[in-house]
Amino acid sequence: MELEKETDGKLDAERQTEAIMEREVKNQTEEESVEKDPESDTRTEEVKRERKTEPVRVCVSGSTPLLWRSADLRLVRERMGIVGTLVGSLARQPRQNCRLGRPLQLQLEEARLLKDTGRAVLVKGAESECDDDKMNVEVEENYTKHLQHSYEEQGRLALEEKKRVLERVMTERLRDEALTDQPIRERLSSLKSSFSFPRSAMMVQLCTARARLGYAPDERDWLVTDWPLPRDNKQEVRYRVYQDLRQQGYYITSAGKFGGDYLIYPGDPLRFHAHFIAVCVPIKSESPISDFLCLARLGANVKKTILLCSPSETESEGVIYTSIQWSGMV
Amino acid sequence: MERVGGSAEESGDVAETEGSGAGASGTEGDIPGNWILQHHKYRELMALDVGDTAQVYAAFLVYLDLLEERRWQEVTSRGSAELQLVYLEGRESESQPRQLIVPLPGQRSLSHQGVRSLLSQPGSDGAPSPSLLLAAVAPDSTLAYYRFSRGFVVPEPPDSIQALECGRERRKRRRL
Repeated sequence: MELEKETDGKLDAERQTEAIMEREVKNQTEEESVEKDPESDTRTEEVKRERKTEPVRVCVSGSTPLLWRSADLRLVRERMGIVGTLVGSLARQPRQNCRLGRPLQLQLEEARLLKDTGRAVLVKGAESECDDDKMNVEVEENYTKHLQHSYEEQGRLALEEKKRVLERVMTERLRDEALTDQPIRERLSSLKSSFSFPRSAMMVQLCTARARLGYAPDERDWLVTDWPLPRDNKQEVRYRVYQDLRQQGYYITSAGKFGGDYLIYPGDPLRFHAHFIAVCVPIKSESPISDFLCLARLGANVKKTILLCSPSETESEGVIYTSIQWSGMV
Repeated sequence: MERVGGSAEESGDVAETEGSGAGASGTEGDIPGNWILQHHKYRELMALDVGDTAQVYAAFLVYLDLLEERRWQEVTSRGSAELQLVYLEGRESESQPRQLIVPLPGQRSLSHQGVRSLLSQPGSDGAPSPSLLLAAVAPDSTLAYYRFSRGFVVPEPPDSIQALECGRERRKRRRL
């Protein structure tokens, strides 16, 4: 009996996933029909094809799914409405946690949705690029070339700057008629030959941003794991609710601060306040009325409606939602 | 808010001795100690023969609260055999529509499915109402009301936005 229920649940989940993918494809085709720039038509098409096929790379560390690349973060937020949480510290602002940087930590439901819709590929430690020696040499050569190019460019700019300074001094001297500008002219004419830009004066950019876990390869191999598997009924319930809400177009983040499961926004969280606190419960599980009282009061305090969400046992109904509000009768 | 005396357990005990006449003679003049049991409305609710004593008692307390304290209009009671409980209907004032009120003892447990079955109860006009008021009655007779509605009910905007809108309105009025 339980096995049957499980498979039914999985079928529902698959159908939901298909619905989400259909919506995405529809969005993409709509976008394509709107953009009609004649000049860069082929270029945008290529970019779009790339975007369509290029999956995001998810790295699972322990049981935590992470996204490292900023392009991936942007793509999942703009295309799929997956918000996640930034958990990395910023190189220039380390001792604070108001503003955090990459990686983006995904909820288990978000990672599962990415995996089920085929939009993500798992990155395992062993596949990292820099373990390959040939690639290493190529990367090193490119870097040295880049440094050399930067050096030449900076030298040229320094020379121009020096010339400008000398010219300015010359014009000032001309105004001040007592002095002669002869030595300056001489310097200016011999500038190009006498100018030298020492290598030690060159500015070099040091990248502090990370593109993956910063551990040694063997530690990384130990940390990096496979896709997290759903463990219990509670996670299944949460995932069904997440899928349904995402399909309806709501943006969803974690509601740990509010004692619920999800915070529901009508649009991107940067633009809107949350409207609902979603609490996912199996439809038949009983809780004491005092629990509903707690939730209702909490919702009233933070000006959000509590949403009780339960996946229905019959396929046709999807997920059932009930709003709880404090009545305000004092 | 006045607290109606006695707890659910007490009334249960007293109910067993109901047959023994008028009960304790009043500490408050000629009002008997078990006046609740002799109240006509309470007897009416018991006569509906649905729900246990605790739920009927809870319904009675809510009934008194709505009528006496909050002065609601047209408060009527109904019994539901399928849900085995007594519920009330009433309107807050002349202009408000009729609402469903479900009184429940606070120690009860409820599932989401149970809430939905409460919501599916037909109102006086025959159609199920989109929302209901759940009145939770604590053992000390404190009442707490909260509203369950079907679907998504958007909350009021936060204070900052309300203040902004108020400000806009005031400025408009000044201009006019």
